[in-house]
Amino acid sequence: MKAYRIVYLGSDSDFLSSLESSLQQVGWPILREPGDADGTRRALTFNPDLVLWDCDNDQPGEGFPLEMLRGAGFTTQPVMSVVRRDDPRSTINSLAGGAADYIAKPLSEMPVPRLLAALNSGRRQLRIDWFGRVVDESNNQVKGMLANLSDPAYVVKPDYQILWMNRAAEEIFGEGQRGGTCHHVFYERTEPCEACAKSEGMARWRAALKNGKTYRFVSVLARNGKGEIERVVAGTDITPDEEVQKIHKTFVANVSHDLRTPLAAIDQYVSILNDGLAGELTDEQKAYIDIIQRSSFRLHNLVENLIDANKILSGEFKLRMEVVKIEDVLGLVLESLKAQAADRGLEIQTQVAEALPPVYVDRARIAQVIANIAGNSIKFTEQGMIQIRAGFMPRDDGKVMVSVEDTGIGIPREDLGKIFELFYRVENDQVYVEEGAGLGLSISREIIRTHGGTLWAESMEGAGSAFHFTLPVHSGERQDAAGAQGL
Amino acid sequence: MTEEQKVILVADDDKDLVTALSIRLRAQGHLVVEAYDGEQAFQVAQENKPDLVILDVRMPAGGGFAAIDKIKHSLSTRAVPVIFLTAFDDEEMREHARQLGAVGFFRKPFDDGEFMGAINSALGS
Repeated sequence: MKAYRIVYLGSDSDFLSSLESSLQQVGWPILREPGDADGTRRALTFNPDLVLWDCDNDQPGEGFPLEMLRGAGFTTQPVMSVVRRDDPRSTINSLAGGAADYIAKPLSEMPVPRLLAALNSGRRQLRIDWFGRVVDESNNQVKGMLANLSDPAYVVKPDYQILWMNRAAEEIFGEGQRGGTCHHVFYERTEPCEACAKSEGMARWRAALKNGKTYRFVSVLARNGKGEIERVVAGTDITPDEEVQKIHKTFVANVSHDLRTPLAAIDQYVSILNDGLAGELTDEQKAYIDIIQRSSFRLHNLVENLIDANKILSGEFKLRMEVVKIEDVLGLVLESLKAQAADRGLEIQTQVAEALPPVYVDRARIAQVIANIAGNSIKFTEQGMIQIRAGFMPRDDGKVMVSVEDTGIGIPREDLGKIFELFYRVENDQVYVEEGAGLGLSISREIIRTHGGTLWAESMEGAGSAFHFTLPVHSGERQDAAGAQGL
Repeated sequence: MTEEQKVILVADDDKDLVTALSIRLRAQGHLVVEAYDGEQAFQVAQENKPDLVILDVRMPAGGGFAAIDKIKHSLSTRAVPVIFLTAFDDEEMREHARQLGAVGFFRKPFDDGEFMGAINSALGS
């Protein structure tokens, strides 16, 4: 069994020692930190698989701090609450606040099975109850009624064998399909669809079905009443949207075409002037041409970012994948980053671990991510340095981790969870930043997400920020999935 | 002029861009002929037998794809290398251009070094 790393954020020594002795039996390391900012920060570097939050940390009236923990960098780990056995209010509050599960203290039973269930279920547990309702177990909210949906819904086993279909699905695919496999019966494929095969939890895809309509499907792994894992799939008819999307796509293509065309002409005339083809330039004229060039470059970046953001919103984001070494990707942007840093009197240090295996990525897109986060670091650092490191993700040699750390102004805690939102900009009185529409980080996160990795940030105001992202290392099978990967 | 003078056709409905490219290519010692729509691009290619054609995709009178199709089906110009220069960012378009026989596909605004490199290598072949 894998040794999962557990963090306990709390100060109950009795609980900790009983938990420690239970976890010793399975060899799982545990770290205890107080539930404050410093403790959370240290806990993050322990790189835990699961976070236990002691509700004794909470001030009266405060809700379960899931958003705070996500913002602090625990972006994907399941978070469980630790509650007093005689305090049902905390139990309910934490579950309603998004805790994956709770552990009651003092411990009365071996906690490992419960921790394992939370580890396997990820952030949210959905189950189908006896009435065919989809229930979010984290807050016991009914998400919908599968049986009565007018759009198709079905449930399959992890091996894709169909267990159940609702009436709408039967109307499209015919009755009596139980026992067949979903990719075969629904999509006429011999192999499972990529969306499900690749995902460990939630998967999304679009499909045009036999009835001539187009659906957006969402599937989640859920636990049925017997504790068995099942995949629950529900579709939404998006056929009416398709026409609108076609118009939207054409509109965006035309607008971006018409924005780029004059930029090309500006660049060419700048080159003509710079090359002296229109006569020798005075130093003052050269300085003005530099400004034209810089402004054109900024406009160019803005246009490309807007187009990227639009692709993300419309699900048109495509990657051109290839096997590449991370240092080669870094090489694409390092020179220009060093020049940017030198302009501000800063130094960039890089460090790439030895024998790092190649990754399977869109090199231009990953270079764009590095340029974006390191560019931010340069922008928000007055003195000190920017460090770019690439190595294995701690305790997971299936992933490469790239980190960009600076000694800059840092990000306020309340903004940390929001900086990845589209169009979000941190308001800051100390630094006036002229560029940026608040697109770079959300685009970066989406790029990393479509590569199967994670991008997150940690920061201390006044001390600096660190951005980390992971990418799966290249393995043989991955090459089979070569080609453009949509969302 | 030490090298042999090459003839380059630049076809784009953005006349400002055509003028700029002409100035720069002439400065490199090339002879430049210009066209501003798809049909004109084909006609000018027939008359001048250029060593290289630079084509925009979206132009009046047939556009760049119709122009390359005719150029590649005309005995006198079929071997002329064609480079596309367009503000569209579209993988299908890139692939379509390749299938029609283009040797290059650049998106505006383009990397100047790469673009000039592609022109030189197309002229060299």
